[in-house]
Amino acid sequence: MTSNTDHEIVILARMGEIALKGLNRGRFEHQLISNLQYRLRQLGNFHIFQSQSRLWIEPKNAPDEVNPSSFAADMSMAKSCLTAVTEVFGIVSASLVWKFEGGFEEISAQALAFVEDLLSVKKYKTFKVESRRGDKRFPMDSPAICTELGGRILEAFPELTVDVHNPEFTFYVEIREFNYLYIEKIYGHRGLPVGTAGKGMLLLSGGIDSPVAGYMMASRGMKLEAVYFHSYPYTSERAKEKVIDLAKIVSHYAGSMVLHVVDFTAIQLELYNNSPQDMLTITMRRVMFQIAEGLARKSGCKALITGESLGQVASQTLEAICLTDEVAKMPVFRPLIGTDKDDTTLIARRIGTFETSILPYEDCCTVFVAKHPKTRPLRVDMDHAEKNLNIEELVEKGLAGVESIKI
Amino acid sequence: MFLIYLDNSATTRPLPEVAAYIAEELSGEESYGNPGSLHRLGYLAEKKQKAASETIGKILGCLPEEIYYTSCGSESVNTAIRGYVHANKRAGRHIISTHTEHKATLESLKFLEESGYEVTYLHVGRDGKPDLSELEEAIRPDTALLTFTHVNNETGAILPIAEIDRIRRRKNPNTKIHLDCVQSLGKLPIRLSDMGVDLASFSGHKIHSAKGSGVLFAKKNCRISPLILGGGQQRGIRSGTESVYLSGAFALALSLAEKSREESYLRVTMLKKKLSEGLTDLGATVLSPDDALPYVVNVSFPNFEAETMLHALEEKDIFVSTVSACSSKQKKISYVLLAMGIDMNLSKNAVRFSFSRFNTSEEIERTVLSIHEVYNKYSVKRG
Repeated sequence: MTSNTDHEIVILARMGEIALKGLNRGRFEHQLISNLQYRLRQLGNFHIFQSQSRLWIEPKNAPDEVNPSSFAADMSMAKSCLTAVTEVFGIVSASLVWKFEGGFEEISAQALAFVEDLLSVKKYKTFKVESRRGDKRFPMDSPAICTELGGRILEAFPELTVDVHNPEFTFYVEIREFNYLYIEKIYGHRGLPVGTAGKGMLLLSGGIDSPVAGYMMASRGMKLEAVYFHSYPYTSERAKEKVIDLAKIVSHYAGSMVLHVVDFTAIQLELYNNSPQDMLTITMRRVMFQIAEGLARKSGCKALITGESLGQVASQTLEAICLTDEVAKMPVFRPLIGTDKDDTTLIARRIGTFETSILPYEDCCTVFVAKHPKTRPLRVDMDHAEKNLNIEELVEKGLAGVESIKI
Repeated sequence: MFLIYLDNSATTRPLPEVAAYIAEELSGEESYGNPGSLHRLGYLAEKKQKAASETIGKILGCLPEEIYYTSCGSESVNTAIRGYVHANKRAGRHIISTHTEHKATLESLKFLEESGYEVTYLHVGRDGKPDLSELEEAIRPDTALLTFTHVNNETGAILPIAEIDRIRRRKNPNTKIHLDCVQSLGKLPIRLSDMGVDLASFSGHKIHSAKGSGVLFAKKNCRISPLILGGGQQRGIRSGTESVYLSGAFALALSLAEKSREESYLRVTMLKKKLSEGLTDLGATVLSPDDALPYVVNVSFPNFEAETMLHALEEKDIFVSTVSACSSKQKKISYVLLAMGIDMNLSKNAVRFSFSRFNTSEEIERTVLSIHEVYNKYSVKRG
């Protein structure tokens, strides 16, 4: 640290639409703080609190600690924390911030030290100052602070010039009960804190879509559980491992979840042998929905979530969706229903599930995929397809063979 | 029940003798020296390294100083092919090979093609052997290298190396031959000096030694450039401190394989027969040529995905292999089988059983029985 004056480094996190919640706001904030605690638990012990519509995150030290931890002393920890904070739903953006007390002279001294630090890492040429005065007792107003501080920075660092339209960095000064300096806002994943919108059961396959669907519902505050249908030996142990890996990545954002692995082999063979080929996928999906709903009821989930997108494959036509939805009593959320595959892929890349999703271990073997499935199945087709099947028994069988893994 | 390992072309279980030897060498008080050190520990290590080369040289019919140690079969192949053409630019810019080589060879050739070399790939027949009349025509005055596999890793097809050597001598005696002997080592007789081979590659873990160990043979008059530069160990051909215990383990494993080679060959021939006969009533087709090395049996099961067979057998603690992966997105089918002109559907369902000399008749009986069970339980008829 080149600075010789005293300041702390803390994380400032901004909340988005939570601020608009009326009487419920406290509950949302409380959940968000607890989610942040959970997300940061492996990085250390933190004091997280709300003040003036913002969240503040500071390392917490026991009073008797010999070497108290601080962000200033451990910038790599500070940066990991910053990234983690932006991955928690409900956070719009976050910054690493210098925090200190004092009047304008103190602010000016700290600002010069801050800029010196900054320029030692990267040779910036243009900047501007933006200030906010939360504490209206402070003797200077915002424009005056900007002008005066900008002048002092220019004087101390002649290589810099002011560019108010397109600066290479913006120097933010906030004056509240403490003074704060920062230059950068890292954008977060927005949304609402997980745990504020009930719990849903995600049908997770090894593909690109379903992890994204889970992420999207979690971003609206929904807690997740997931179900995966495993048909060993038609699919391998690696396929299951892949789904577990995907669930882990989703849980970065969605928090801890339980993954239910249903032993589906016998059911799939039964379906294959006793129902027509061209209706196989949809018959199978109906059984899957019922097993998923059974698991959902047991674990307190109030909705099913799938990664379907209208028209993407034969089982995702409107007719097919009508027939699968018939068996579900809970609402079925399909956040990707109107999304183009390319856009889903973009989200998958951004949240880090894509690379795992495209590994070659498939969730469903080619033997069970009909060459020419019916794309517009009718009610009569469905009746015909299921007439030789004891669906209830199959669902029972599925619910009996479940391995639940805590992610 | 014990597990039945029939994937010995992928890797083998290290011999107890090898494990004990390595443990002893690693824990010994005087056995960890660097062969390059001037003191006694270095001298001891160097002596052991030499002894290993002498053992290997005696068995393979070459001089100890024609043996180099590498990290794996792939490194040996890379050094042989790329190292030879790099060191012998005037030998010509033409190479002859086939499409059924291991990827280590094919990727090395691709690399050379990108830098201006011309490669002729000979056609391979249903018997897995390259067309020799094509070879006769392909060898030119500027053909620097022929590179072939002694025994194909997917089918067990054996290369007619004696005929190839004869053709080479007749057409262009300056052309060198590299032979990938990774699958044949310890199973077929290999006398390098008699075979007319100039370069040959071997791997330790395919003969019940440890992974991380390969051997390269380069005839004395066959100059090669190193891939790895450094302290100039191993006569400058392969820098890096020698792993004496891996060299010793390779020599030990090879001696033990050689001791029972002929007897094992006969026994494994019986195993192959037993397996093939046991599967005929399922309509299975043996894709390995009749005169192939009996250690590798490639079988195609009608209407049964190869990967499903693999996983269903794994459930019964029987381990086999397949190149064809069960995936609707990318149809991955063995390029070796397709190059042999084998039908797409047969290739798609091909499972490889590869034996070691330790597999027993009872194991094959249990395997045959298990395959029948798997068939009854998991086969699905196409509607």
